[in-house]
Amino acid sequence: MDFEMNGNDQEQQPKEDKQSPLMEKIQQLGQTNVPQLSQDSKIHCLTIVGQIEGHLQLPPQNKTTKYEHLIPQIVAIEQNPKIEGLLVILNTVGGDVEAGLALAEMLASLSKPTVSIVLGGGHSIGVPIAVSCDYAYIAESATMTIHPIRLTGLVIGVPQTFEYLDKMQERVINFVTKHSQITEEKFKDLMFAKGNLTRDIGTNVIGADAVEFGLINEVGGIGPALKKLEELIENNEQQEGLVQ
Amino acid sequence: MILYTAMPSEWIYQAEPSEYAKQKVVNFEGIPLLVEFTSGSEYRVIQVMSTDPNDFMNENIGPGVKITLS
Repeated sequence: MDFEMNGNDQEQQPKEDKQSPLMEKIQQLGQTNVPQLSQDSKIHCLTIVGQIEGHLQLPPQNKTTKYEHLIPQIVAIEQNPKIEGLLVILNTVGGDVEAGLALAEMLASLSKPTVSIVLGGGHSIGVPIAVSCDYAYIAESATMTIHPIRLTGLVIGVPQTFEYLDKMQERVINFVTKHSQITEEKFKDLMFAKGNLTRDIGTNVIGADAVEFGLINEVGGIGPALKKLEELIENNEQQEGLVQ
Repeated sequence: MILYTAMPSEWIYQAEPSEYAKQKVVNFEGIPLLVEFTSGSEYRVIQVMSTDPNDFMNENIGPGVKITLS
């Protein structure tokens, strides 16, 4: 097979009906082969990416995490005896508060060991999801933006709206403080801090800072996270052994 | 109206209602996939929505692969 990567030639050539399987694979996946896993992985992996979609369906060009799709998956993970642990990978800009809290509550109440890793960003409503797991990791370069709840677009400045938002914010603060080491005071301090975000209040905490504030347990990537998950699974099995 | 902005146009303008119909979540051989309609009964895989890491290793349903749905 010859692989002349001549841009002009390729464009001018009529589309061949039968492409070589190797070429096809490069076009589809951008690589030639994918590593094979041994059958029946006992650890499942939940990815929270893009925007967390709530009650409103976002246009297709948005990358979204659909909570109505993830919740049945979490139920299936809880029920499947073959699955022993769950790894949650976050790289999200945030999104719908109710949908995010729903996911966070589902993960927090999962009886199987869970470990989360924040890669890139775990912003706004991604914060409760990250802390909902038994143990949370953050990559050194990853960030989490903590800011008050708001509506996008026009906000009607009436006391009812304010109270509604305030109560919603309480729910987020309660969840985060309950599931991580951070104190309510510290979390609120970060949330209402001035001068950190351009023309906005809030704080952007990076890697080690998130650990220092008690929000996240440890700085680390996939290796330490999987090791921790294996450890939690082992502890879980020992405890179950004692009960039986 | 002239908009002076660096934001992409799709962030400003609402998407056509027909755009929403293009993508859907299907269950293909027991694996949930986000697919985009191409032609006839053919769909292109956009995202594998499973939690099983093994499903991501399945080359037959990787992103970009065309699948036929009945």
